[in-house]
Amino acid sequence: MSQRVKKRRYDYSLLTVVFLLVGVGLVILYSTSAYNGEVKFHDSFYYLKKQAFATLLGIILMFVMANIDYHIWQYFAVLAYVIALILSTAVLFIGDEYNGSKRWLSLGPFSFQPSEYAKIALILFLSYIVMKNVKVIDKVRTLIKIIASTLPIVALVGSNNLSTAVIILGIAIILIFVSSPKYMQFITMGVLAIGFLGIFLALESYRLERLAIWRNPEKYEKGYQTLQGLYAIGSGGLFGRGIGSSIQKLGFVPEAQNDMIFSIICEEFGLFGAIFIIILFVILIWRFFVIATHAKDLFGALLATGAMGHIMIQVILNIAVVTNSIPNTGITLPFISYGGTSVMFLLLEMGLVLSVSNLIE
Amino acid sequence: MRNKTYNKKKILVVFLCAVVVITLLISRLVYLMIVDAPYYQRRAEALHEREREIKAARGEIIDAKGKVLATNKTVCTISVIHSQIKDAEKVIRVLSDELDVEEKIVRKKVEKVSSMERIKTNVDKKTGDKIREYELPGVKVDEDFKRYYPFGEVASKVLGFTGGDNQGIIGLEVKYEDYLKGKNGRILTTTDARGVELEGIAEDRVEAIHGDTLHISMDYNIQKYVQQAAEKAMKEKQADKVSILVMNVQNGEILSMVNVPEFNLNEPFTLPENINEQITDEKKQELLNKMWRNDCINDTYEPGSTFKIITSALCLEEGIVKESDRFSCPGYRVVENRRIRCHKVGGHGAETFVQGVQNSCNPVFIDIGLKLGVDKFYDGFYKIGLMNPTGIDLPGEAGTIMHKKSNIGPVELATMSFGQSFQITPIQLATTVSSIINGGKRVIPHFAVCVTDKSGKEVKRFQYETKRNGISEETSDKMRGILESVVSKGSGKNAYIPGYKIGGKTATSQTLPRSANKYISSFVGFAPADHPKVLALVVIHNPKGIYYGGTIAAPVVRDVFSNILPYLGIEKNDKLEYTNEMKKQKR
Repeated sequence: MSQRVKKRRYDYSLLTVVFLLVGVGLVILYSTSAYNGEVKFHDSFYYLKKQAFATLLGIILMFVMANIDYHIWQYFAVLAYVIALILSTAVLFIGDEYNGSKRWLSLGPFSFQPSEYAKIALILFLSYIVMKNVKVIDKVRTLIKIIASTLPIVALVGSNNLSTAVIILGIAIILIFVSSPKYMQFITMGVLAIGFLGIFLALESYRLERLAIWRNPEKYEKGYQTLQGLYAIGSGGLFGRGIGSSIQKLGFVPEAQNDMIFSIICEEFGLFGAIFIIILFVILIWRFFVIATHAKDLFGALLATGAMGHIMIQVILNIAVVTNSIPNTGITLPFISYGGTSVMFLLLEMGLVLSVSNLIE
Repeated sequence: MRNKTYNKKKILVVFLCAVVVITLLISRLVYLMIVDAPYYQRRAEALHEREREIKAARGEIIDAKGKVLATNKTVCTISVIHSQIKDAEKVIRVLSDELDVEEKIVRKKVEKVSSMERIKTNVDKKTGDKIREYELPGVKVDEDFKRYYPFGEVASKVLGFTGGDNQGIIGLEVKYEDYLKGKNGRILTTTDARGVELEGIAEDRVEAIHGDTLHISMDYNIQKYVQQAAEKAMKEKQADKVSILVMNVQNGEILSMVNVPEFNLNEPFTLPENINEQITDEKKQELLNKMWRNDCINDTYEPGSTFKIITSALCLEEGIVKESDRFSCPGYRVVENRRIRCHKVGGHGAETFVQGVQNSCNPVFIDIGLKLGVDKFYDGFYKIGLMNPTGIDLPGEAGTIMHKKSNIGPVELATMSFGQSFQITPIQLATTVSSIINGGKRVIPHFAVCVTDKSGKEVKRFQYETKRNGISEETSDKMRGILESVVSKGSGKNAYIPGYKIGGKTATSQTLPRSANKYISSFVGFAPADHPKVLALVVIHNPKGIYYGGTIAAPVVRDVFSNILPYLGIEKNDKLEYTNEMKKQKR
């Protein structure tokens, strides 16, 4: 580890893409949420104000993180994980309920979603554990041990937020996959996972119903959200209705500023606008990839890979849900969907990756 | 703890997987937004669009001289949209001041969290415009049409009024609904999920088509005058109600149809003030229906002596009687052991047939009625048109209530011959008498003349066919002469106007039950008697004091005729000596 103080050299491509996403995200969020804010709170800026505050806080945190040597965090990895466990447990008992799920902890005027924190805590924790076990990483026992260590958080988060649990599990698998030299184990794991998924779905009929709704959203009342999203996407055409002109956001797509925001992007900015946003995410992932492969050491590489996995999984799942390519499940679009905790920790995560890139020699 | 080569390879694998999946998602998006787009777009539009009707303005009703009797007034509906209100206090103050609504009520509606709250409807356009000028956000002024009758009570039961959907409820408004109503247009607007219309998005509009104008034969000036005459008679005789009909004898056009008390067409659901307000809805509806009834066509009565015109015409036509035939009246006639009295207790003594009509002598008519016989009497009723509705263009014409032919014995025949024991409507009497004195043409009484569109182009001219009623020109001429003598010499002399030849017949009939001692006195008159142009029928229901038709109804016709005859261009002849003899000499 170099203790030499050297001139910080930000990954400006990454920084530019992040600022573009955050900036465009705020504009889209305002366009999408103004109606709902007006209807519910008589303030069309209601959602924008909260999001902008969290974004500002996140940007500060990002630069703070970028300027701290990331190696220092290995000493806090276990603590961060334990805190995540405590918070995720706490939210089950004293959390605020919203739309039938207990996901928020209130701290005075602020509310906080522990599952968003859990993602970054897990990235840190797994990077640390993998690094510690790197010599025996090709052993199946090690793999099982590492996966087992993530299960408590997956179970806790998954008890009321299945989608986030899936993301956390996905990040874990990517990190372990990257750290191990083998392939076969993962193919076996993949086959097993698909088998378990089948049993899991068949056990509860409502999950099968979800599949039926996915196949044919027009025939089910619960397919409403999906269908309204498709109406929005279909209404966009090549160039969209123009910014602010979505009609589907006017109460037709329920809470358009949340999970379904991508459908409003399609409606207002058309196919080209939607592809532009996707390309921004691809560039982001590409920068993570570049940083991960050039990182000074395995810890840095794993941190960047974790961030890459995180963004990648969320973007893919979100767009897949909105386009009805997979059954509906609540996953937000990073940087764009409404959610203060989410955007703040995402920016913090970007700071962590920037810190890794800053130390590339 | 180096970042080894296999780590980098695997990161690349993950990255490439992401790129592949994202590429697939982009293809999916392309498919959705290009191939499936038209389908989803159509579905989305169907979801967003709301249809709103534009009310068509109802066609006007115009009298014979071009005066507008029924038209439309623009009224406004004032509503507030809670989410758009900026200055609630100002809105409350302005609306309660301008609309004269209690502040408390306005406040409650303004502060209620709802998409739209209606403050007041039927606000006149001036007030609506004034409120619009305040430019208060969240206050909506919608314009609408409301039927408006400039003359309020004039011809209320003829014109009728319209309901909430601008549809005709009674009278001509119902009868000519199809012409008057026009065609509603519609606006297709885009709304949000709550159904609130969005501003600034082009709307599809199909304009409303204005209703056509109905031109009627009624003359406002005559109607107005006749109404005053009827009101005067009702007041003087403390009668329950008075109906007066004035029609063109030759073609059936109705110049005036008055039924007092009339009601205010602009407030058709308001009962007269003296009615106790503590009544049930059912009772109120019953009273309203009673108030709206057009006695000239909706109700029947025993015509009494005016019906002797019909008996006379049928008997003259059949040759049963000649004008010079002699009769004798002892004050009664015994028919099948029943003593049927004449109104003159002492009897009229010896008289000719013409004198019998002048005296309205019942025994004379019993004699000729019995002589005519049931078959011919009954056939005559059919031929003359009495048994069928007149076909007047107003809804709800009552039919004739007549004995079954098989039930008519000598007593029934005797009473029928002087107009008792059956019932007809006033319009039936007026039409039948018109058809007798006009040379034997059965006319269809009517109001509607033609229909024009908004630009004044004629769309439809109504045709009313006349047909022979079995009365010859010769009989008709005799009847005119006899009825003229009734006015010049007989019981109708109170209808006499110097310088005019007027024919007519009086009637006094007792209503059922006879024990109530209530009477209907009536008079039917026409002028000029030798070439009749106009006929007037006056029916006074339940007059107090003197109730003889010749005494109280005939002067009303005189009053009406002395005013409308010059107005109709029927000139007075100063040299005219008003006797039958003179007329005969002239021939």
